[in-house]
Amino acid sequence: MLTLLKLELEKLFRAKSFYLSFLVLVGFVALMLWGFYTYAARKTGGEAVEQFKYTYESKQYFNGLTFALYSVLFSFTLLLPIFVSMSAGSQVAGESRAGTLRMICTRPISRASLVLAKFLVTALHAALLLTFFIGLNLMVGLIFVGWGNLELYPGPLNLVDVPGKIMRDDALMRFAYAVLSGTWALLVIAALALLCSVIFDSPVQATVMTIAAYLTLYIVGRVEFFEHLRPYFFTTDMDFWRDVFKPDIPWQSLWHYACVCGAYTAGLLLTTVIIFERKDIVT
Amino acid sequence: MLLDMWVKLILLLLFCLMILGAIHFAQPAESEKLNSSAKVLNSLRLLTWNIGYAELEDDTRAHNEDLPAVAKVILREDPDAVALQELTGTAQLNILLGLLHGKYRGAVAQQGKADRFEGVLVKDAGATFIPVAVGARYALAASFRLRQNTPNVLLLSVHADAFNAARRRSYTEALIDWAQGRVQSSEVFIAGDFNFELKAANVTNLYTDNLKHDSESYSHILRNFRDLGRGAGDTAINDRRIDYIFGPPKLEELGRVEVLRDAAVGRMDHWPLLVEVGL
Repeated sequence: MLTLLKLELEKLFRAKSFYLSFLVLVGFVALMLWGFYTYAARKTGGEAVEQFKYTYESKQYFNGLTFALYSVLFSFTLLLPIFVSMSAGSQVAGESRAGTLRMICTRPISRASLVLAKFLVTALHAALLLTFFIGLNLMVGLIFVGWGNLELYPGPLNLVDVPGKIMRDDALMRFAYAVLSGTWALLVIAALALLCSVIFDSPVQATVMTIAAYLTLYIVGRVEFFEHLRPYFFTTDMDFWRDVFKPDIPWQSLWHYACVCGAYTAGLLLTTVIIFERKDIVT
Repeated sequence: MLLDMWVKLILLLLFCLMILGAIHFAQPAESEKLNSSAKVLNSLRLLTWNIGYAELEDDTRAHNEDLPAVAKVILREDPDAVALQELTGTAQLNILLGLLHGKYRGAVAQQGKADRFEGVLVKDAGATFIPVAVGARYALAASFRLRQNTPNVLLLSVHADAFNAARRRSYTEALIDWAQGRVQSSEVFIAGDFNFELKAANVTNLYTDNLKHDSESYSHILRNFRDLGRGAGDTAINDRRIDYIFGPPKLEELGRVEVLRDAAVGRMDHWPLLVEVGL
């Protein structure tokens, strides 16, 4: 198992797509920084001040932590799932397409441990992506925007019902929590992509199917017609990761949804193992 | 083969553990209505209700045929003062006052650009009604006392723009400025339909200017007032909480807080919000 894991890690670090995912995240942070800067300038002076007398959006509100929070929340929904799907979707289907899967499976290794090793490597990729992204945002925020407390208001980001504040040091700890909760939530996507990777022989097909399923549920979940179906979508449960940014973390709810996501991940992995064991590998 | 079996068993165990964990940590469904039965000293009971119709109707203002039902709810709940929105005018108010058997006095706001009026009903026979100009709109305030030994109460009946969040923000700013000037002499309560779209639960909206305007408006009110109906849930169809009663931040006693979900008749899209506080 350890040898398998080492081999899979080597493959991950040799893949160009691994580095590409980090590069795209750097681009996203640059875009966010530009948007945040111009928005903050617009909203803390000139027209906005003339139009409205009172505002919570002061220069103190637009600080590095607020920047990091917006950036992480915006990207988590759409950007990170794509990279995780790509990474997991290519794990088995990529080997199949390259013609190496059959060779691997002729060796005396258990298919279940092969699936598990590939999943663990994908989980590591997801954790690295999130750690890098959050770290980069905080660093860019510190250098270009400056530190401060994390102020939260009802409405935007939908984190609180009443205005709240998280002190700087506590807020930094919350970002560390977000690495854990975010990675755990992303594992559902990873497990789904791995299942697709076993079902389909093309990594593109596996990735597209995963993203299609994710986006369909995500979009349908936001349309009021399907309001009553929303609680049954894994995309709804995945949202629990954001709770670590609430001034008072709702631990009970957080553990509940973390367990639901864990059940999805374990269930999908078990299905993947069962299907892969019975799969007739012809390439 | 043995390893395969172990992996599957571990995954199955993990799956079962997660299910059990999810059940263990599941929160009991929150009761829809927060209905405290605590006795409140010097109790002031306020009710706010937009008695207009949903947007799809030809005339979205209050309908005369619904007034007996409105009066019935008011008489049943027996509030000290009522803030109403979307009345068609003085004639309609007089019909309602008649149905209340002279138990209340009332007035409607001046006509602004809109075709509907805010109104206030008060039990106190000595109540005075004050028109409040808020930009291009008018709200209405009523000043009254519960008893001789209780502080003066000022209740504003308000209705913010339904379609434009920036206008709601300007309206709120002007309204709070007006109310802040009176907090020294009276216990100020602001009741009405603010149309804020702030639903935080379960929805992950990305950032929009409208959302930000409503957020700014609501947060601005909370700097000086307390949202008394916060725990009572939605007040309008489509799971919206857009009707509010804001009161002094230092109120010590909060009694019954309830959205009366059996009260709407006809094609009304709001339910009344009832709040009981101790003065």
